[in-house]
Amino acid sequence: MKLLLLVLAAALIAFYVGYLHADEPAAKIDLNTDTLGPRTIEELTEKSIVRDYGLAWRTLRDALNHNQPGALEGYFTGFAKDDFSRLVQSQLKTGVHVRYSDRNHRLTAIFYSPSGDAMQLRDRATLEMQILDGTKLLSTQQVTRNYLVLMTPGADRWLVRDLQSIPEGRP
Amino acid sequence: MRALVITVMVATMCCPLLASDLKAPATVVAGTDFVIASAESQGGTFYLIGPSLVSKREVQNGSEISVPGDEIKSAGVYTALLCSGAGCVSTDFYVKPSSPARLSLLAHPSRVRVAEPNAISAVALVFDKFRNLVVEPAQVEFQAVAGEAQPISQSRTAANGIAWIRLTSGKKEGPIKVGAIIGPAKELRVVRQVASDACNLRIKPEWAAGKFYVSTDPVRDCSGNAVPDGTVVSFTKTDRSGKTTVDAPVKRGIARVQMPVDGNARIFVASGVVTGNELNVTGKQ
Repeated sequence: MKLLLLVLAAALIAFYVGYLHADEPAAKIDLNTDTLGPRTIEELTEKSIVRDYGLAWRTLRDALNHNQPGALEGYFTGFAKDDFSRLVQSQLKTGVHVRYSDRNHRLTAIFYSPSGDAMQLRDRATLEMQILDGTKLLSTQQVTRNYLVLMTPGADRWLVRDLQSIPEGRP
Repeated sequence: MRALVITVMVATMCCPLLASDLKAPATVVAGTDFVIASAESQGGTFYLIGPSLVSKREVQNGSEISVPGDEIKSAGVYTALLCSGAGCVSTDFYVKPSSPARLSLLAHPSRVRVAEPNAISAVALVFDKFRNLVVEPAQVEFQAVAGEAQPISQSRTAANGIAWIRLTSGKKEGPIKVGAIIGPAKELRVVRQVASDACNLRIKPEWAAGKFYVSTDPVRDCSGNAVPDGTVVSFTKTDRSGKTTVDAPVKRGIARVQMPVDGNARIFVASGVVTGNELNVTGKQ
């Protein structure tokens, strides 16, 4: 009986967690490290980059959707955190906000510093971008954006230090 | 045909956005004023959505919308929207970074042993005055200056805003300044070069007040730098009573230890993987 209750509780928790995130499907993230240098990447680092970059986008999405700059604390630092915090502040000021829904990220790691303290990646991201003024939807676009990403290691995770969109066709 | 008509109708109803009538320059430099042209002569609400800023304002004349440089300080893709009663028109444009004006320099490690090949790495990140990563190729000059010596310079081309170099540490201990320069920007980091492993370890016997001591000559690395105090030196004695090892830290350049000797003894010295000379001594009977 006790076991049955435990199983039921676990199922309920799993259902609740699934329900919470049902509207936010996790974006698919691929990482290509074929041309990475000068330092070679360890398997564990590869996994951390994929996990933490995905979580960074998730927190960015939350920060912009709900105008909560605090959401950026976990996975952003430096210029990226400053820029997105300013973006949230201007959203609050104007009442306009951007809703990103990232579907897919094709990451290519292009530079890993010799001492392992910085990694640069290119991301080809497929996003749905909505622009709202208050609750009025002004625009919905399915866009493919290219980003240059700079990540640096923190105490227990990789942090996004710079996230700069670049034009299509840059090598 | 019917499906096509329905598709077009649905698309028209779903999307208030009309065909792109706004025209921005293909590329704008960060922080510079520019104009967005529009076929819409009526006014409306103009929205600018950028990487670090959202702005909204009413415009009286939609045909020429001035955008001040203050609104496009961040490099990246921007979306401009002009909305009126008829719906919204939009365009995307790219704001590129301005010229290099700032550097971030990562030098690693902060302490390095002398004469270590490629032991120091320096990574320079090139930014414009608005802290945008300058993605166009740019020449970064790296410099290394040890003490009073002439600076050593090497140039590297930054790719995607990053240039890097590896350096071999010098032969003399002391600080080395590692710098990167681009245009008006210069950054310096100090890396401390410390002595390497002990080299040519020499020990000598000493009798003082009836006690036997073994002490080293000043302990230096192969480049002649004194190893830091605290470096451990191991003395191993073998005599009639067996084999004994005593560790002693270097103090004021030498390591010294008292060792009782029983009859004939052989004494070896080592520090890390480096071994020194051997002493054969006879203890006082």
